Amino acid sequence: MELKRIVGTSYSLGIAHFKLRNEGSYFGIIWYLLNPILMFILLLAVFSERLGNDIDNYPLYLLLGIIMFNFFQAITSESTKVIRRDRGMIRSIRFPHESLIGSIVIVALFSHFFETIVMIIFLLIFDLSLFGLLFYPLIILLFSLFSLGVSLILSSIAVYFVDLDNLWSFGMKLLWLATPIFYSIPDSGGLYLMNLINPLYYFITLSRHIIVYHELPPSWILIGTLGFTIISLVMGLIIFKMISKKFAEMV
Amino acid sequence: MMHRLEINRVSKVFRIGSMKDQGALSKVLSMISGKEHREKIIVLRDISFHVTRGECVGLIGDNGTGKSTLMRILAGIYPQTGGEVKVCGNIVPIIGLGSGFQMRLTMKDNIYLAGSLFNMSRRTIREKFDSIVSFAELDDFIHTKLFQFSEGMRQRLAFSIAIHSHPDILLMDEVFEVGDQRFRKKSSEKIKELVDKGTSVLLVSHELWMIEKHCERSIWLKDGRVYMDGPTSSILSQYRKISA
Repeated sequence: MELKRIVGTSYSLGIAHFKLRNEGSYFGIIWYLLNPILMFILLLAVFSERLGNDIDNYPLYLLLGIIMFNFFQAITSESTKVIRRDRGMIRSIRFPHESLIGSIVIVALFSHFFETIVMIIFLLIFDLSLFGLLFYPLIILLFSLFSLGVSLILSSIAVYFVDLDNLWSFGMKLLWLATPIFYSIPDSGGLYLMNLINPLYYFITLSRHIIVYHELPPSWILIGTLGFTIISLVMGLIIFKMISKKFAEMV
Repeated sequence: MMHRLEINRVSKVFRIGSMKDQGALSKVLSMISGKEHREKIIVLRDISFHVTRGECVGLIGDNGTGKSTLMRILAGIYPQTGGEVKVCGNIVPIIGLGSGFQMRLTMKDNIYLAGSLFNMSRRTIREKFDSIVSFAELDDFIHTKLFQFSEGMRQRLAFSIAIHSHPDILLMDEVFEVGDQRFRKKSSEKIKELVDKGTSVLLVSHELWMIEKHCERSIWLKDGRVYMDGPTSSILSQYRKISA
């Protein structure tokens, strides 16, 4: 019952924010695509002859990395600001606050859908099978739950730290460089060990194995993906539950 | 008799820090330099009363006696520090009208948004849509964006959505005076109709005549306590004596 209400309110808020972003014009969708596509073209132009030289299907490898990172970034950065942005609502209406975060995920899923279409076009251009994409909804479901968990934590601690959004955007820059998005890492060494504690590494590697290379991912990647999803979601829900009671007083 | 709202020994303490909005860096620094001094403000002490089905209770008191805090606690917006609040039914707070609105969206989108925040399903909203619009007298503006509305129009809309959301208990904080004379009359008739059907109303207002008109019973809050609880006429006459 409670979950049903959270999902319902998330959906309504999501639709409202989606419409707000586009202000009724569906040209707005092009803008979502512009950023990842430009980034893709730029990186491809700079790196395909160097870093990408020994990576099979480098453009697809790169594009999938970019759109997945973009998804995570869009959700988490928005969540560092959302409680303050909607303080008026929080202070005068009783509704499940989880749905504020839920709505961000819904909006991000929507724009991710269009980015996935670009991905499909590239798969067709490269004459690769679309078979792996059948599993993508499942991966994105897990990735959404993981991002939801992280965002629940971020949004609640942002109430204590007013400048968390700045810190987080700096953190995202580091993560963008630390995650093998436009380069690949060897199966051993320092970079590899560092990425073992980077959740994004697991999600992106899993998707690349399945969609770009049509192969079963190693089982430790699967376990890591599931593990990070569960840990993030459980911790997110617990922390948010604890702190969200005080939102109305604190913002 | 069935109690819609039972409040037992509710208290509320705010801890007001001198440095409210702190960045991460200054938080870390203040952890080193010692704990921030926080002032303790007791807003409500030992509040107990109950409201039965179909009862309309007025809540009066000077500014800063905790009326709005009490309303927010009842609405589940603030957690109470002590005591317990038992609510039986759907409680709808009308505090600060229209805070769920998005100015850049059309009225139609806003009705769906605010309705869902007030716990209505999309289906229910669809069914009640026409009634919400016509009660607010805004039939010609369904596709108009809200920033083009006048303040009065927005308040009428917010009020109309709230009373269409099946309230068993309505909490109204200084929001009775919505719209022009005619609309006020209409909304006060609508409230009366809801009360007759069994909705309980808790009404905060500085307009004593409103309380006199709608509420048979009143509660006078003073310094965060229930100072008096009884028939409106006798409470108001004493309140006027002290305020005068």
